[in-house]
Amino acid sequence: MPDIAPRRRSLLASAATLPLLLAIAGCRSSDAFTGPDPLASRPRPAPDVVTLAAVIAAEESLISLYRTALARDSASVPARDLPALLAQHEQHLTRLRARLIQPPGTATATASPGPSAKASAAAPGRVTIARLRAAERASAASLVRRLATVEPALAQLFASIAASDATHVAALGG
Amino acid sequence: MAEITAVSALRAALAAEEAASYGYGVAGAHLSGSRQAAAQQDWEGHNKARDTLTAMIYALGAQPVTAQAFYSLPFPVHDGTSAMALAAYLEDGVTRAYLGVVAISDQRLRDFGALAMQSSAERAAYWRGSTQAFPGLDP
Repeated sequence: MPDIAPRRRSLLASAATLPLLLAIAGCRSSDAFTGPDPLASRPRPAPDVVTLAAVIAAEESLISLYRTALARDSASVPARDLPALLAQHEQHLTRLRARLIQPPGTATATASPGPSAKASAAAPGRVTIARLRAAERASAASLVRRLATVEPALAQLFASIAASDATHVAALGG
Repeated sequence: MAEITAVSALRAALAAEEAASYGYGVAGAHLSGSRQAAAQQDWEGHNKARDTLTAMIYALGAQPVTAQAFYSLPFPVHDGTSAMALAAYLEDGVTRAYLGVVAISDQRLRDFGALAMQSSAERAAYWRGSTQAFPGLDP
């Protein structure tokens, strides 16, 4: 087996000396390319990444809504299946996050969780079963609307989560 | 090529609907009261879905799969509990089949498959008595 370590070290050394060489030549890194400077700004994320980040944000909002409902121990929110439903949303979030690979330092703030999730996050005060039901229904509908723009495997994950959300609506008495 | 893929996915969904239609006939015989009524309603739903899928396959210029005269059951069905387990099993199969339709690039077919998955997942949850995190997918 060839020893690749020295070659790798030499590549790293070359990369480290590149700015120095450019400086000696009186160039900025951007002058070395004829197109737009690839270092000038962070590359725009692919559509799938933007959609996935938005779905993750919406799932986080839904989980927050369930946690609020459970923490309040309100008479308007009977305990019944809420912990089990919350656990399934946490599973959704785990699997969605596993699909998202972003460069370090990339915030998910570019994602738009959609109107239903925004409404849920904006008014955390009173969480009734009806509100959870509406949020589940909105989540399922939103996921189906997002199917158009994503690759097949991600579309299948969205559809499965939407189906799970639909069963939650029924479990909440819808 | 897209049509061939769509046809194969729709044929798989049709086969699952045919199997469900047969299976509900078996399950319904072991149920009574509101559960029997639910089984009857679901059986009718699967027959409607079968007709819809058949029409969709014809519309794509293809031939639908022919229903089998007999389907082997995954386990013995001899009482209400096993009948309900069979119904849940059948719905899981239908959900998995429609998941294949969601993989088609055609937007209308994706929506159709996703909405059909919601219906079968809801029926499965009813018969199983609990919900699942990932209907149609491996857990």
